[in-house]
Amino acid sequence: MSRPALKVKNLSVWFETGSARRKVVDNISFSINAGEATGLVGESGCGKSMTALAILGLLPASGASINTDGIEINGEDISTLSAVQKRAVLGRHIAMIFQQPGTALDPVFTVGQQISAVYRRHTGGNKQNIRQAMLDSLESVGFGQADDIATTYPHQLSGGMRQLVMIAMATVCKPAVIIADEPTTALDSSTRTLILQQLERLRTEYQTAILLVSHDLTVVRQSCRNVMVMYCGRLLEKTDCKSLFSHARHPYSAGLLSCIPQISINRPPAIHAIPGQVPNATELPAGCHFAPRCNRAEPQCQQSVPDFDIKDGSAVACFRPL
Amino acid sequence: MDKPTQHSRPPLLEVRELSLSFHQQEQIAAERVSFSIATGNTLGLVGASGSGKSSIARAIMRLLEPDSGEILFKGESIFQMDSQQLMATRQRIQLVFQEPSASLSPRRSIEQTLLEPLEHFDIGDKNYRHEKIRQTLQTVGLGQDVLRRYPHQFSAGQQQRISIARALVTDPELLIADEAVSSLDVSIQAQILQLIQTLQTEHSIAFLFISHDLAVIRQIVDHIAVMYRGQLLEQSPADTFFNEPAHPYSRALLSFACANEPLSAADGTWRLDRGRSSTDNSSACLFARLCPDKLAVCERLEPADHAIQHKNQHALGPHCVKCHLYDEVNANEN
Repeated sequence: MSRPALKVKNLSVWFETGSARRKVVDNISFSINAGEATGLVGESGCGKSMTALAILGLLPASGASINTDGIEINGEDISTLSAVQKRAVLGRHIAMIFQQPGTALDPVFTVGQQISAVYRRHTGGNKQNIRQAMLDSLESVGFGQADDIATTYPHQLSGGMRQLVMIAMATVCKPAVIIADEPTTALDSSTRTLILQQLERLRTEYQTAILLVSHDLTVVRQSCRNVMVMYCGRLLEKTDCKSLFSHARHPYSAGLLSCIPQISINRPPAIHAIPGQVPNATELPAGCHFAPRCNRAEPQCQQSVPDFDIKDGSAVACFRPL
Repeated sequence: MDKPTQHSRPPLLEVRELSLSFHQQEQIAAERVSFSIATGNTLGLVGASGSGKSSIARAIMRLLEPDSGEILFKGESIFQMDSQQLMATRQRIQLVFQEPSASLSPRRSIEQTLLEPLEHFDIGDKNYRHEKIRQTLQTVGLGQDVLRRYPHQFSAGQQQRISIARALVTDPELLIADEAVSSLDVSIQAQILQLIQTLQTEHSIAFLFISHDLAVIRQIVDHIAVMYRGQLLEQSPADTFFNEPAHPYSRALLSFACANEPLSAADGTWRLDRGRSSTDNSSACLFARLCPDKLAVCERLEPADHAIQHKNQHALGPHCVKCHLYDEVNANEN
């Protein structure tokens, strides 16, 4: 039976700069079962990456405050661990794939050295075992000549290849949870397909739970069963991808969907854009944060915050859902 | 490739048999690429990263010198132009880049940014310039209040509007948009695409729209050209292409873009290509290694360009494909 591999309870994050206090993640809760992929979507600046970094505990101690009732990996709370204790968990039980593999990889070490370092830190073993694990992980992401690739430096590889190396590095210890933050955003569509196929393979082969952070609903649709829509630090809709695409209930979700250009045989009609832009985190409107941009907003929406309304396993936070 | 004969006057831009390379011809960026863009029309150039799309854009601005081939703007070869003619031409062709934050100078106010092209090309007097900037800002949906501000004070979408405004102040006839919406959020992307559609219909500006995203291309182009490792594999009117892509590579691209379900790792025939160097100069079709419909001849011979006939061909324009699968079709028609 599937169990939650990652469980996040009431997570909030805020930054304090001078006198301003900006809440960037506002009391969000979710769980992802082993072997499942869940997408977290929303516009830039809505708190998606902050959520990912807060789960891993990678936010700077100065300035950022985190409040949570627990971040559990396979039932174990990692939010209360000290920095030293956490080092044994990061990379081993939970790993992250960053958006910019060019900056996330170290330019002065070969790809093989960097992957080996992760395995050595967590698993140890002799040189041969470490090398074999490193080569296996490179091979598993589709590199035909793994020993060739292992001796290259990141700058010698294309963007897509670097991202594959990132995936190999994240999976060398077979973690229970992988967080992928915009893993395909800088890549072209055929490379994107390749990366998404690799994530799908991890999910099915190792029962890895995947949290895929992206602004691109098409990517989420191609790689996830479930999806969460985030806006200004709050989750607005949690549902499965099929329902979202066939019947989005939150007006913001519907707006995001209408922005996606469609491929059709006849030239499609002009696409719709959501009017306005994401408000600054210091000047969030009262009530539902989306109300000022919403064409269904009523006076009530600007005064109070809607709770999650749960129906058929999907949840929506809106007074006037579609 | 056949020259379009249905246009009575020369096309706005014509690229003929253009070949480009880097590092003393070791790295091939484009090989005998030909296409044309009619006045007010939009051509979408698609292909994976490293296929040579941006190099072609830079050659059109004459920022790169070709190995061979020609680029004609309104019938005049840009490689034969003296500096004065080139200056006049560059005023008519403008570029918009992918990363708006990197293409705007952080030290210049928006007013300085928008004034610079007008001063550089010596267009109009002071009053004209200010009026022009006012109008252009209105076109891209920004107010007068932006003029005294600096790029970092704007969101990515607004920055891209400013980049487009900078390209528009010289009244170009051709805008080259090099992945101009690729780094933007879907919602911002939708707003910029709406702006481009307005420029197409209300200002009759022609576009060379470079992108790897077929769904974005579908929104705004009249014609499409598919590049793969420096070669054009297929050229087609957009409606024909999205109805019936002819080249196996085009079909693969389209199927990736249309996938609505989690992709299975089992469909993993796809592999990454490195760039193309002149040393792997086999005579095979470049796509043969990955092609699902490969024939024996594909490994031996480079395919020729074949024209595919359609009903309404006249209205839509030519459809060419560089693939051995169409050898027979071609033979039957001859």
